[in-house]
Amino acid sequence: MAIDFSSTAGVPDDPAEARNVRLPAAAPILEPGAPSDLDLMHGIQAEDPEALSQLYDRYNGIIKALILRVIHNEAEADDLLQEIFMEIWNQAKNFSAQKGKPLGWMVTLARRRAIDGLRKKQAYARAGERLQTETEQQPDAWVHNATEEEISFSDTRILVRQVIDTLPVAQQQAINLAFFRGMSQREIAAKTNTPLGTVKTRLELGLKKIYDGLKELRDEL
Amino acid sequence: MTGLKNFEMSFEEFQNQSRLYVIGALEPEELEAFENARKDFGQKAEDFIGQCYSMHEAFALSLRPAKSSDALKERLMAMVRTRAKS
Repeated sequence: MAIDFSSTAGVPDDPAEARNVRLPAAAPILEPGAPSDLDLMHGIQAEDPEALSQLYDRYNGIIKALILRVIHNEAEADDLLQEIFMEIWNQAKNFSAQKGKPLGWMVTLARRRAIDGLRKKQAYARAGERLQTETEQQPDAWVHNATEEEISFSDTRILVRQVIDTLPVAQQQAINLAFFRGMSQREIAAKTNTPLGTVKTRLELGLKKIYDGLKELRDEL
Repeated sequence: MTGLKNFEMSFEEFQNQSRLYVIGALEPEELEAFENARKDFGQKAEDFIGQCYSMHEAFALSLRPAKSSDALKERLMAMVRTRAKS
């Protein structure tokens, strides 16, 4: 079942248990000899534009998809994408491999910028209306012809989606509103007409399942 | 009062709160207790929070990559090369 932002009112809890599906923790399949993400981050820290160019080629599609999921506007997403990669260039010195992987750092940065952008434009209502229209007309609105980047991510995406799709719809909805819309528990409760305690439980249970899926894979690698 | 509440927070509760924290979903009244528990649990807490951020990757990787124009990259790289030279 796909995550659905358009239905935000009173979704019942699904008692079904998540299947034991493995979740990948990492990135695309790289060509033999290709620099790792960490190599590229070190290159950026050394102010090598080519390193940023390669990191952009590897992840611009994922980062833009994330931005689009938040703001639902192609032109604004392109502007933000450019700003985010400039911030990656400017802030690379603050990246520490001890604290996590380059992709995680970039996604955290991109999500924060996208949600900030959404809030600054006070576009919650507008984006919500657009989103509802888009999901009604074309549930998978970001579908396009497969690119090389997309193909390299496809196995990963399928596995991640399998885990997310096993969550009850109400948990998916709560997590999506929190992660992709930056909503607080209270905001989610108000938007979905759900008791605050229920929202908290949905978030906690759903996130734990996803976290456990990731951990299981890491333990096996 | 807050200290007493923090003292009573188990690590399992802290883990639940951490997963909410990394996606920015903790309520303001929960944040203070969380931060105090974070100090109490020390490095163990920091390690766990770090692991929780891997969920950000997973959520991003769940999306189908979106296409961008070549012109956008050219603009970006022109800006970067200018910065790199200065």
